[in-house]
Parts: sequence; structure tokens; C-alpha cells
Amino acid sequence: MGRETDTLTSVGIDIGTTTTQLVISEITISSAGLGALDVDIEQTELVYRGAIYETPLLDRQTLNVEAIEDLVTSELEQSGYTPASIDSGAVIVTGESSYKTNAEELVTRIAADAGEFVVATAGPELESVLAGTGSGAATWASDKQKTILNVDIGGGTTNMCLFAGDSIVETRCLNVGGRLLRFNTAGRVTHISNPAALLINEANLDIEVGKYPSEAALHELVDLMANSVFETVDGTERSELTKELTIRNNEYTSRTIDGVCFSGGVGRLIAANDDEDLFAYQDIGGILATAIRERLESSSLIVRPPTEMIRATVIGAGTQTTSFSGTTVSFDESVLPLKNLPVVTASFSGTDRESLADDLRHCLERGLSLYETDQVAGLALALPNFDTLSYDRITALAHAFDQAYDESGYARRQLPYVIVTQQNCAKALAQCLRAISTDVSPLIVIDEIAASDGDYLDIGEPILSGQTVPVIVKSLVFGRESSAA
Amino acid sequence: MTDIDPHTDPEDETALDRIASASPSRLGLGRSGTRPRTASVLSFRADHAQARDAVLTHVSEETIENAGLLKVTSLVSDQDEYLARPDRGRQISEETAEQIRDACTHAPDVQIIVCDGLSSTAVEANIADLLPMLTDGFEERGFTVGTLLFVEFGRVDIMDAIGEELEADIVVNLIGERPGLNTAKSLSAYLVYGPERGKPTATKSVISNIHPDGLPAIEAGAQIVDLVATIHDQQGSGIELT
Repeated sequence: MGRETDTLTSVGIDIGTTTTQLVISEITISSAGLGALDVDIEQTELVYRGAIYETPLLDRQTLNVEAIEDLVTSELEQSGYTPASIDSGAVIVTGESSYKTNAEELVTRIAADAGEFVVATAGPELESVLAGTGSGAATWASDKQKTILNVDIGGGTTNMCLFAGDSIVETRCLNVGGRLLRFNTAGRVTHISNPAALLINEANLDIEVGKYPSEAALHELVDLMANSVFETVDGTERSELTKELTIRNNEYTSRTIDGVCFSGGVGRLIAANDDEDLFAYQDIGGILATAIRERLESSSLIVRPPTEMIRATVIGAGTQTTSFSGTTVSFDESVLPLKNLPVVTASFSGTDRESLADDLRHCLERGLSLYETDQVAGLALALPNFDTLSYDRITALAHAFDQAYDESGYARRQLPYVIVTQQNCAKALAQCLRAISTDVSPLIVIDEIAASDGDYLDIGEPILSGQTVPVIVKSLVFGRESSAA
Repeated sequence: MTDIDPHTDPEDETALDRIASASPSRLGLGRSGTRPRTASVLSFRADHAQARDAVLTHVSEETIENAGLLKVTSLVSDQDEYLARPDRGRQISEETAEQIRDACTHAPDVQIIVCDGLSSTAVEANIADLLPMLTDGFEERGFTVGTLLFVEFGRVDIMDAIGEELEADIVVNLIGERPGLNTAKSLSAYLVYGPERGKPTATKSVISNIHPDGLPAIEAGAQIVDLVATIHDQQGSGIELT
């Protein structure tokens, strides 16, 4: 058996605050054949770049699911692909769209429409990572082994991701975007989003729905936004106001960065620097971009040009979400694909069978209490590294699993048994489990995948003659709009 | 490999660290004048000595006994002859043939043999975890397993001679790989369907690089069991597999 290759067609769909986009890429993967440990992604080629549409809304709180479905269908037709020819991919609802009441229903439906193994995702952290991979910042950091902060400024949110070399250090998310304030063609304010309202209140600005705001007030508003962006880029000293705009208030690591990269719709306007009408989009995107550009000119930050700007997130979603298990997976094919499996992570306090069983039982019980098992397709149990992979250790672990599945009540629920390991031991663990018990079935053990609590896992049908399965580790976090002060 | 502290004066230390850590090769060691540094030379020689040891030492009686292996030998009588006469490492004497015909299970589905090959260290490092994974796995799949054998001074193709004598369907030969300067612990598994003397190498399947930093022994065990099942179903091995 020689080197084998396979090509996957992957779709990315981003439903953002302002725009909805679709791209299609072809991912070529290969494995050196039997005995090879890894699957390599040889090439990722963007084969279709869709048009950029305004995200259709029914009203301020509701996305127009039907219109978005139509849009995806017509884009797919345009691309020459059909849902049947799409192998994988991701739909992500981003920015303020993820705050809409029907965001979850939307991504689930669009994902089902777009192809067999297209997954629904949401979450500001994931969004930040995808934007940073799609913009080329991640590649730059990896090629140069340097540190870069990608700042993706869209209509509703600003999503930053810090890359250092080959790793993702952290994400930083703010409720700052170009569509937080909207005008009609005449220039009257038609809508003020909560984060903008917060700033207007705080600074006592004379901006009201239905009125013509003064240019000075608008500039003051975008200056406050730009200030929060720069404070977050710096990460060390953030004002209370910035913290209020922060999505999930985290402490940031302080480290020197070799560059920043701006992507997203506002990112494009920052780079454009032309005499375009600042209010062409009937929002504050243009003047926000100008405010940021002016600050950049007097700052010591080095701006690196991205390879993609407005399409960064959608390209990230289309090309970066799928990973591949090690070549030594073990799976019961009849239950694949599996979608939206919540990940529960076990931690081990000892190495003997009894303590392993206790730890696994606790972990399963926690998972069962967190997730309604009639709502999910099963729990994916993620194992920590347990250094030495000896025969005694793996058999003890298999016995512990058998016992824990039974005692936690998981076995009664007739769900698939899904185990994820970081080390290369999937086939061994599966063999040991099958030898101990015929009840632990259907069984899926995948290795060399890192997943942690709060993640969700999608596992696709096997490829490369059954050597590997596509795995998507994702988040499904739908935001709640921050309340205006 | 022994740890080396790469004291050099690189233009980009992080980049050098990344390159050096991406490979077990001796990269970015620096130099003293026109020569390698003393530490580099010493560690190279230490690794070379380990590689020589792997070739020249024997698998201990204790290991053989603990694994429950029956020990036999090829036509070779010492290490020098083993290295000089690969052909003799592939053959067994008439006495050995008679010995195994008497002592071993006849016509098993799978005959497992362990050979010292070019690395006794590899055998010592892996078989305690690998053998039980194999026997458990074969039992679960309903294959009969022959008497476990250890062959001293064995080459890959000795599996043909032994398999032919025992009329085994499939032979699995776990053999120490020629050691490099990075690891002496690497083991390979060769598999053949319908063993007979002179069977071409191309009809053998192999799973290689079995060691703690490569394919872990337990995972290799489960993989070998899968491959044996495929070989059994298709009644062929090596290039005969589709």
C-alpha cells in the first residue's frame, strides 16, 4: 500500500452582523499508507469565492432564515457544487448575528442544507481564531516564528487572536463594530445597538434614534471605540469602559507583538484609505476605520497586510475547522457521522484500575448532568495524556471504562461510546475494550485530537480507505447581547 | 539521544530551536574552531556505542522466560557469523526443525516468532507490551495462535522456514531493526501468508518503527491484529493485498 491521497470539498459559510458569505475550498490530504502515523494536509485551494451579501433580517432580533437559506442555495448553484458533493465544512454565525433569538436554529438548518458533514458553529473565541487563520496571520506567525495579533473588526464585534509561532495564545473579543449605529439615506439615526448606547450614555453624547447627530458627537463615539480597540490590543491597562465592552472578561497575557493584522469589513476600510464617502454603508464603519487609522499612524505598532480582509472569517471556517484523527482510529462505521457531541474531559488522580474507574465515572456523571442525553447523540470522553502506554495501563483503563460506563448509568441510555485520546492508542484501547465487554458498542475511539470541556465534536465518515476520520472540534456558544446601561 | 545544549550564536535563536526540535538529528550543535565541540563528539560516540550494543548484545534469558518464549536458533553460531552470513540467519538446522515440530502447536492460524535481528535492545524494549496485545487480539478474533518462539541470530526470512515446518497459515516475525544513532529500540513486524522457504520479500507486509517515540508497542499490536485479519480474509500478504 503506497501513498494515498483524497480530496475533500469543504464549504465555509459566515453569517455575520452585516454580511453573509460563502466560499468553497478543496483540501487534499494524504497518508503514506499502512503504518503511517499522521495524515497530512497537502494543499488547500480556494475554488469559489462567493459574493458578499447583506445579512437578511426579519426584524432587529430575528434573522431571516428562509432568505439566508435561499441565498446559500443560489450561491451553491452559482459555484457549480451541490450539497451532495460537499464533504465537510462549517457554518458560523458571528458578531451580533449570534445574539439573535433564532441564531441556533439558523446555523443548524443552514448546516443541514449545505451538505452531509457541514457543521454548525458559533462562539466569539472560535470566530477570532477562524478570522486569524483566514486572514493569513496564523501562517505568517508560523512561517516567521513570530508573534502577531489579528484584529478582525466586523459590523458587530471585534475579534482578536494572538498567534505565536505555531500556537494560538489567546483570543480577545469586544462589542465594537461598524454597524453599532445605523443611519437612513438622509443621515438620521435609525438604530443604536446596546454597546453603542452604553458609550453614548457614558460620554453623554447627543445621539438619538430619529435625529441627525452632529459630526463631533459621532467622532467622539468612534474615538471611544477605537480607544477600546487599542487598549485591548495592548492588553495591559484597560479602562472600566473597555472591560464593559469586552465579551467574557478575561485577563490577557502581556507580551511584545511583532505585528498586528486588521481584517473584517472595517479592517478593509482601514487599509483602503481612500476618499470614499465615509457614510457609504449608512453606518459608522467608515469613520471608525478612519479613527483607527489615525491612531495607528502615531503608534509604534507594525501593521502587517493580511492576505484576506472581509472574507477572513469565512475562509477560516471553510478551510481550518476540519482536522483528521491519527491513522490508527477504531470505529463502528454504522453510526457515523456523529454531530454535536459535547466533550467531557477526564482527569486522572491515580493509575490503578479502581481510581481510574472512579475518575471516569465522575466525569461521565458530570457530563450526564450537564447535557440532556435525549438531546445529544452521545458524550465524547476526552482523556488526558497518561505518559507510558504499557499493556498493563491500557488494560486497566479498558476495565475502568467498562465499569464507569455501567455505574454512571451511561450504558442504559443506548448511546454510542465515543473516546478521544491525545496519544496514539485508539486501536489498542478499542481492542482491549472489545475484549472485556461486548456491551460497549457501538464504539468509536479516535486519537491524536485535542479537545477540552465545553467543546463539541463532530466525527465524519472515514476517508483514505478507512485510515482516518475527519473530526471537527468546535464551540457552540450563542451570545447574549450585553445590556445597555 | 543524549541531550546537547546547542550553544551557538544563531541569528534567530527561536527559529533554530524550532528547527532543531523538529528532528531528532544533530542540528545546530555549533563548533569550536573547525571542529565539533567536545560535548557533541562525546554524545555522538555514546549514541554510537548504544547502537553497537544493540547489535552485539543478547536478549536476556529473563526476557525470553518472562514472555513465555521457546528459544531456538538459526544456523548461525555467533555474532560475527551473524553479520558475515545473512543467508545462514534465514535457515534452521534439521535438528531445530525436528525440535519445533515436536514441541510446537501444529498448523496454527498465526505463528508468532520473535527475532533478535540487529537489535536485542528493541526486543527487550517492546515485547512485554506487544505480545499480550497480539495474543489477546487474536483470541478475540478467534484465531489459533502457535507456540511462541524466540529465534536467536534470526533474519526476517527465517519466518518462511519456521512457518513451513509448522504449516502455519500466517507468520508474524517481530524483529529488531538495524539501530540508527537516534534510537536502538525500534522493532519491525513482518507478516507473511502461506510461508514457505524462498518466498519473495515482496509478498511480506511490514509494520515498522515500533518504539516508544514512534508507533507505541500496544498500538502496533492492535494494528498487527487488524492486518492479520485482512491477510487472513484476502489469503495473501505484501503486494498480494489489494
